[in-house]
Amino acid sequence: MKVVFDHLAVRYPFWSLTANGVFSPGIHLVSGDVGSGKSTLALMMAGLRAPDDGAVIREGVNRIMLSFQFPEFHVTGLSIAEECASWNLEPDAVIRSAGIDTDEETPVLSLSRGELKRLHLSCILSLDYDLLLLDEPFSSLDCLGKEQVCRQISKRSGGITVLFTHEQSIFPQIDHIWELIGGGLVDCGDMPGAVLNWQHAPPLVKKLICVGRIPRSLTNNDIMEAACRTRG
Amino acid sequence: MQDPRLRLLCAFMLSLAAFASITGAVAVVVWWMVFTPRWRSIRHRHALIATLVLFGIVAGVMTLTGSGDGLSYLVRMIAILLVGSWVYAESAADDFLAVGTWCLGTRIGFEVGMIAGMAMQMAAGLSDDFRRIRIAIQQKGQSWGTRSIVPAGRVLIHDAIRRADETAEVLAMRGYRNGGTMCPHFHTPVRDVVAGTCAAVALALAYFPVSEFFILYR
Repeated sequence: MKVVFDHLAVRYPFWSLTANGVFSPGIHLVSGDVGSGKSTLALMMAGLRAPDDGAVIREGVNRIMLSFQFPEFHVTGLSIAEECASWNLEPDAVIRSAGIDTDEETPVLSLSRGELKRLHLSCILSLDYDLLLLDEPFSSLDCLGKEQVCRQISKRSGGITVLFTHEQSIFPQIDHIWELIGGGLVDCGDMPGAVLNWQHAPPLVKKLICVGRIPRSLTNNDIMEAACRTRG
Repeated sequence: MQDPRLRLLCAFMLSLAAFASITGAVAVVVWWMVFTPRWRSIRHRHALIATLVLFGIVAGVMTLTGSGDGLSYLVRMIAILLVGSWVYAESAADDFLAVGTWCLGTRIGFEVGMIAGMAMQMAAGLSDDFRRIRIAIQQKGQSWGTRSIVPAGRVLIHDAIRRADETAEVLAMRGYRNGGTMCPHFHTPVRDVVAGTCAAVALALAYFPVSEFFILYR
């Protein structure tokens, strides 16, 4: 199973994006500034937008899900029960998993943005996808919400998971890092070596690299371990 | 058409003409062909075609059941649809504010114009929302078809009401009570006046049979 960006290019009058690379099973992080083209790349990877040049080749990928940054874009039911039914999920289990204090007859769009995001992520993370694309999965979430989502993402076994985010503080167990710089997709490599090539690395990770303590992964525990590591 | 006052007046007269009789509807279609950019004035062609199909089905049912003149209904609805598409494509949200204030003053007129402008902006966003819901339904593994239109429509309407509520709250928080200050300016080229006059003629044709104009020669 893999997704290949084969000389992919998108062109707008004042902006362009090129990408080459192979996404194999595991958890990938695509980082980049706001407006760098993360969402466009996610749309092309999901097959919802055609590239101007090149191609996205999906091998062994059948079930694809792109989670949009705005959870409202996924709503097709009026109540929480209807929305969960549209995902073929039991509302009680989803409400418990999302940690929302409400009942299943509550109108979905009356939830706060953060609650709706948690509900939506609980739905998609309860299902199996060969290719799961998460566009800014941490937006609208507080720290506890982000950590919960990270735990759920880290638990995913098999398939290709790609996080498109400019998040700088909380991450799941990342296997591979990519970043968008100057209109191009740069392959930083596999963890833990990828952080050495990662220009968008969080300040704490950069400081750790400066003192020669490379974290094994980007989870809080591994960053703490690197920070507290004693030189042997 | 550059003058929004004449544009709205034309739309009103042409809609009445198309609704009144098949003669009026034909006159409206002729007017549309002469004074608008025709197909280029239609923003959402797929939506227009879908609506035409719907009207065609209703007309067919009317004809088959004998409950009315299906052909007349179809021609009149096509004319109204073309006029509506033209007004929608040519109007900007602040046109309504300008016309409302010019027509009914800075209190009621401003309010009516602002509401119409907001409705216009919301209508422009609805097609994007509809496209997103379609993608969402497909991503959930459900097939998109006629059965999906009703649930999608429910979500769209619910979302539109929710957004309207939020907009009202924002306006209230910014201290808006009613009315506002505005000095609208309009540009009225000769072509707009000619188009307006012709729209009035179309309306007259719809309500008064052509033979009435030539009564002396009967």
